[in-house]
Amino acid sequence: MPRHFRRFGLALIAALAGAATLAAQSAPRVTFTDTKMKNGLRVIISEDHSAPVFSIAVTYNAGSRDERKGRTGFAHLFEHMMFKGSEQVGPGEHFMLVFNNGGNMNGTTNKDRTLYFETLPANQLDLGLFLEADRMWSLEITAENLDNQRNAVQEERRLGVDNQPYGRTFEAVDALAYENFAYEHSVIGSMDDLTAATVDDVKQFFRTYYAPNNAILSVVGDVNTKDVLAKVSKYFDRIPAQPAPAVVDMTEPAQTAERRQTLEDPLARLPRIDMAWHTPGSFAPDDDALTVLATVLSSGRSSRFYEAIVRQAQLSSGVSAFSAGTRGPGLFQVIATALPGKTIADLEKAIDAEIEKVKTGPIQDWEITKARNSQKRAFVGGLGSSLQKAVNLGQYALFANDPNLINTYIDRINKVTAADVQRVAKQYFVNTNRTVVITNPKAAAGQEGVR
Amino acid sequence: MNARKSAIVVVASLAASTMLIAATPAGEQGGAPPQSSKAVVMKGRAPVSTEMLHIKLPRPVETDLPNGLHLMVLEDRRAPQVSFQIIIPGAGGYFDPAEMPGVSSMTAAMMREGTTSKTTQQIAEMLETMAANVNVGGSLSGVTATISGSSLTENFDATFGLAADILLNPTFPKDEFDRYKSRTAAGLVQQRSNPSFLANEMFARMVYGAHPAARVAMNADVLKAATTETLAAFHKSHYVPDHALLAIAGDISMADARKLADAKLAAWKKAGTPAPTVQDPPAIGPARVSLIARPNSVQTSLWVGTQGISRTSPDFDIVTVMDKVIGGGPTGRLFVHLREEKGYTYGAYSQMSTGQYRGSWLASTDVRTEVTEPALKDLMAEIARMRDEPVPTKEFEDAKRSLVASFALSLESPTAVLSNHVSRWLYKLPVDYWDKLPERISAVTVAQVEAAAKKYLEPTRLQIVAVGDEAKVGPVLKQFGTVDVYDTNGVKK
Repeated sequence: MPRHFRRFGLALIAALAGAATLAAQSAPRVTFTDTKMKNGLRVIISEDHSAPVFSIAVTYNAGSRDERKGRTGFAHLFEHMMFKGSEQVGPGEHFMLVFNNGGNMNGTTNKDRTLYFETLPANQLDLGLFLEADRMWSLEITAENLDNQRNAVQEERRLGVDNQPYGRTFEAVDALAYENFAYEHSVIGSMDDLTAATVDDVKQFFRTYYAPNNAILSVVGDVNTKDVLAKVSKYFDRIPAQPAPAVVDMTEPAQTAERRQTLEDPLARLPRIDMAWHTPGSFAPDDDALTVLATVLSSGRSSRFYEAIVRQAQLSSGVSAFSAGTRGPGLFQVIATALPGKTIADLEKAIDAEIEKVKTGPIQDWEITKARNSQKRAFVGGLGSSLQKAVNLGQYALFANDPNLINTYIDRINKVTAADVQRVAKQYFVNTNRTVVITNPKAAAGQEGVR
Repeated sequence: MNARKSAIVVVASLAASTMLIAATPAGEQGGAPPQSSKAVVMKGRAPVSTEMLHIKLPRPVETDLPNGLHLMVLEDRRAPQVSFQIIIPGAGGYFDPAEMPGVSSMTAAMMREGTTSKTTQQIAEMLETMAANVNVGGSLSGVTATISGSSLTENFDATFGLAADILLNPTFPKDEFDRYKSRTAAGLVQQRSNPSFLANEMFARMVYGAHPAARVAMNADVLKAATTETLAAFHKSHYVPDHALLAIAGDISMADARKLADAKLAAWKKAGTPAPTVQDPPAIGPARVSLIARPNSVQTSLWVGTQGISRTSPDFDIVTVMDKVIGGGPTGRLFVHLREEKGYTYGAYSQMSTGQYRGSWLASTDVRTEVTEPALKDLMAEIARMRDEPVPTKEFEDAKRSLVASFALSLESPTAVLSNHVSRWLYKLPVDYWDKLPERISAVTVAQVEAAAKKYLEPTRLQIVAVGDEAKVGPVLKQFGTVDVYDTNGVKK
């Protein structure tokens, strides 16, 4: 059920009907209320009556960064248990009730948070709040249900990692780039650790992290703010606050030499190179310039990587660059697969040459305009989605303690200049700050390798 | 159960119609679980609203242009952006020259690689600087080609102008075609490492035989042999407006859309081409088991299915409900049984694919190699149960309510609303087709679904495709029928 999102786009409030011209010129804002309940639950509500729909997002301040050694993958396994029943909701009843009443829902876990969400027709506000409150209040944890979801999660790992070409490459990059355990291990976790998880682990994790004071509830859409607050009070007030969980030390020691690793992948057919440089996390001052840098390097066919490496040199069918979007210490990553007959050495040289150019050569005005417009587009594109707004408000509140970033983030990107982009490129794109993982296909019996 | 259970009322008006969706009938939540599975327990204590939901269904404004193009505009001022699609029947891969399957896809991909006034880089830079997009697509098996795009309102004239240039004046430059060929050839290699691609390719082959619907990947030899002249000729004869649609949604009026179409598409002249027609695939061959031996697989991808129905089949709504019950999302029997009860898989779903010609029905899941046998047995048993037993009333009503009530969610997106009207146009459905959706779904009976399952899920027509470890899975599959083993290049061993 859960998917792993990388980074959410931006959203903005819907313009009033007929006021579109005005909306295109002035900057409309998402209006919202931000309330702390007595038990510490942070409630963010934003009304949008343009469609008979609303969304709820519950963002828990718990992710794989909070896992201990020997229990990798646990935060995500726990997420699955949240659908297996609580005091007043039977196993599986949650998704039956949401889908059978026309809604949609899911859960997703990453390094930094666990998110649960549902979108429902406007008449089902009580249902949505009740379901989220009941599983924050109590979980019915049985060994049988844990075994069942352990199996489902282990299949999720096989589906996404062990049975896919380059599946292990993602894990290898984090494992090599990070020294701090919090981000060094994968969200999906190891098979052994998943097997080792116990019912007691589930109970303890629930008590520690699934407390109202460790969560943000956002409700967006065709709702009335007062009504939502009254109903939140009705369903959530009985849930007691818990002592704040211990703060995880996220400190990442400074890297002093380049790290390199070569993997053999029996499922892959073409060689691939992954590069990663340490950067600050999301919403740190340099993050904005790094976001623009990623656009300049790899966004679309007008990007530098596409034009130079894909179209001109024909070394790869696509080169991507992105900031991983973590709340703690970040990584700026580049990924490229070599075309048949082309070598990873040539591909690496070509990527290095483009990186050198961005550090030393001019950055054109249109490249900056492109990055700004791309944020504006994402901003406007999120207008119609109650879910995207609910998720973004929760994410901004958790990551930056500033849900109003939903309105102001675009201003931050607009302030980035060519000089800023060049400065961060120079600062972070140094080889002693870099990790390189090369994945080579390993021809298996009965499968001819294509080189 | 009382009269309220299907109290769905539709009132049509001129520009928009109102749909009333009933929620769960009062007093029903405490009823029996939807299926006899310990994996799902309905305690029935959650507050489900029985209040009627009033939904306004917006309808686009439509007109016909002199060159044959049908124009459809859904004005929606909620956000300062506009999106469009130009759908051209007759330009899809179905109409590829017989000896050169893939020409439609290549033509579509190459159209934005240069026009009489712009190079590929200029096109990319103009579009991406505006954060706008224009894409041309022609699937290998489809009937239509589509040029689609979107932008902020302030850039829509320029974006649509570029799309028109790409549509009307592509030059198919030889150097860009060579580059396209090498990128695409790499993709053809790369996709053979993906188990879903391998399953999809074999499934289409077993279900559709030699019909164009069986094409899911380009052929490397055709790619090598194709010339820009072939593409230019295909473009000239197939990209005609006579039977095409321009559908626009967002921050624009019909009047402004009409002006824009007149100005930018003035050179797109009627060609006098007859309306394209298609044929159904030949009857499906006997049930077989096809195993693609994928070394180092730790899971088996299982695809079980058959030929289904076309989009205009009178059984469409009935099969939709059947599909929802058996595998439509996490409430479907496959998910509940194979994942929530047995823990064989991360997911198990079914899907129907329908178009102008007879499409397919498919149930699929990925399971760890060791449980291939019980998982496939259970999957086959769920298909048999659909044929042999009537769906219990509560489960049946839940599935139908889910299909109707979820319609409210699509109203957040003008493009989702418009795409419903695009299919209505494409398949020549009645003008009030979407207004009547609740009525039609509500009228589907348990007996109709049972009859449809007997007709469409007949065991002698079911194809089984497996991708996995040959040594471990091969012997297991023998009990399900005659097994043919292929390598990952699709060559029979």
